[in-house]
Amino acid sequence: MPYLLLAPAVLGIVFLLGYPAVLVFITSFQKLDLAELFSGETVWVGFDNYVEIFSEADFWTITLRTVVFTAVVVGGTVLAALGISLLLKHVPGKIRMILQICLLLAWATPILASTTVYLWIFDQNFGILNKTLVRIGFDSFAGFNWFQSGLSTLAVIGLLIAWQAVPFVALTLYAGLLGVPTDLYEAAGIDGASPWQAFWAVTWPGVRPILALATFLSAIWDFKVFTQVYAIRKGGPNGDSTTLSILQYLKGQSGSHYGLGAAVSVIMILILAVACTQYLRMLIKSSDVELR
Amino acid sequence: MTKLFSTKGVGLSAISLLVGALFIFPFYWMASTALKPNADVLSNDYDLLPARITVANFGDAIDRPFFLSSLTNGLIVSLTAVGAAVLAALLSAIPLSRLKFRGRKGFLLLVMISQLAPLEALFIPLFLIMNDLDLLNTLFSMILVYFGAVLPFSVWTLRGFVSGIPVELEEAAMVDGCTRWGAFRRVTLPLLGPGLVATSVFGFITAWNEFLYALVFTSADANLQTLPVWLNGFTGNQATEWGTAMAASVIFTVPVLIFFLIVQRNLVAGVTAGAVKG
Repeated sequence: MPYLLLAPAVLGIVFLLGYPAVLVFITSFQKLDLAELFSGETVWVGFDNYVEIFSEADFWTITLRTVVFTAVVVGGTVLAALGISLLLKHVPGKIRMILQICLLLAWATPILASTTVYLWIFDQNFGILNKTLVRIGFDSFAGFNWFQSGLSTLAVIGLLIAWQAVPFVALTLYAGLLGVPTDLYEAAGIDGASPWQAFWAVTWPGVRPILALATFLSAIWDFKVFTQVYAIRKGGPNGDSTTLSILQYLKGQSGSHYGLGAAVSVIMILILAVACTQYLRMLIKSSDVELR
Repeated sequence: MTKLFSTKGVGLSAISLLVGALFIFPFYWMASTALKPNADVLSNDYDLLPARITVANFGDAIDRPFFLSSLTNGLIVSLTAVGAAVLAALLSAIPLSRLKFRGRKGFLLLVMISQLAPLEALFIPLFLIMNDLDLLNTLFSMILVYFGAVLPFSVWTLRGFVSGIPVELEEAAMVDGCTRWGAFRRVTLPLLGPGLVATSVFGFITAWNEFLYALVFTSADANLQTLPVWLNGFTGNQATEWGTAMAASVIFTVPVLIFFLIVQRNLVAGVTAGAVKG
C-alpha cells in the first residue's frame, strides 16, 4: 500500500530527474550533432568532448568568471540580508511592516519582469539611473552604456540577482533571529556586554546555522543561474558576461553540439556536487531527529 | 514605542525606510512607466512621478502578437504541472509521515538529493528525451518538466505539513467509527488546507518564472511561448517600447501578487519548513 501511494512521485523523480542526470553523462561521451540527432546514430568519442572544452582558452576564463561572480553575488546577498534582518529586529513595528512589504514586492516580481525593468532602468538614453546620475552632477553618465563591457554587464546582472535573492534570505534570517531567546540578551546585559559583544556572543551563534544554509543555497542557485544572464545580454558583449550555464546553452542548443554541451553540463554538475555534499551533510545533521 | 523617539531608533528607522525604497523602486518604476503615455516614457524630462496617466500601454501589450497566447499557455502549463505534482506529493506524504515501511529512509534521501538537481544543467538530456518521444514543441513537454521540477520540493514540504498534524486526531476519529481513509479525509485533509495552498503557490511561482526550458522546447513555435520567452523576445528588439514592455511585465506580475497575498502569513514559515528545518 505505501508503495502504491509513493509510485507517482518515485516515477516522476526517476524519469524526469534521475534518468536525465544519467543521460547527460552518457551524452557527454558521444558526438551528437544535428546529423546524429536526425539519423539516430550513436557515435562514441570517449573523452574527446572534454579535451575540446578544456583546450579552449575561453573555457578557463568563463569558469573563473563564474566562480568569482558567484562568490561576489553570494557574499553581497548574505551580508545585505544579515544587515536587513538585524534592522527588521530593531525597528518599531510599523517601520518593520513597511520594510517587509518592500522586500516582498521585490521577491514577488517574476524574474523576467524584473529583468525587463532593470534593462529599462539601465537604459542608455532614457534610463532613470543615467538621468539621476547626471542630475546629481555626474555629467559623464549622460548616454553611458552599462552594457558596453562585460564587467559592468555582470555588475548589473549581479545586482539584479542579489536584489531578488536578498528578501528571501533576510526574512529567513529574521525568523532565525526571533528564535534566539530574549533571556540570553538580558543575561548578556546583566554581565555588562556591549551591543557589539552581545551580537557575537548571543546573536551570531543563534543565526549561524541558518546563515550557513542560506549561503550554501545561494551559492548553488547563483552558480547555475541562466535566466538573468541570458535575458540581459545573452552572455555578451563579445561573450564577456558568459558564464558556464550560458556556455552549455551556446554549445548545446545554439550550436547543436549536444555532446559538447553535455560535457559542460557535467562539469557544472561536478562542481555543484562538491558544494552539495557539504550542504547535504549539514541538512542530514540538522534533520537527524526528524528523519527517524 | 519609546524606541521610536531615541536618536538611535530614528536613525535605524530612517535607514530601514531608505533600504525599503531601494527594494521597492524597480517595482514602482515598472508600474509608473506602464501608466505613462509613450511620449513621456521616451523623454528627457526627469519625472519620478508620472505627469499624465494612461492605460493605453496595457491595451497595446494585449494587442501584441502572441501576448495573450503566452499568458494562457503559462497558466495552463503551470497550473497543470503544479496540480499534478501536489497530488503526487500528497499521496506520498501520507505514508511518509504516517506509516513505517522498508525503503522510507531511502525515498527521503532520494527526495532530498533530487531537490538539489540542477535543472539548468539537465536541459540537454531532457531535450533529447523530448525529441525521442516526439514531444518537442508541445505544451505537454513543459508540463512534464515542471512536474518533475516542483515535485521534490512539494513532497518535502507536504511531508512536513502532514507530520505537523497530530496523528491522535485521526486515531480519535477512528475510535469514533471512521475508517482510516475516512479519518484522513474528514480530519487531516481539512487541516492540511493551508499547507496545500502554500506548496501549490511556491510550485506555481517556479513554473510561472521558468525560462530556459520554455525557450528550448518552444523555439520552433511562437504559438507555444510562455510570458518569460515572449518578454525576452520583446525587449530583444533594438528600439524597445518600454511603456508596452512595462505594462506586459505588470500583467505578468499580477498572478504572483495575488498568490503572495493568499499565503502572506505562511510565506517564510512555509519555505523554511521545507528547505531548512527539514
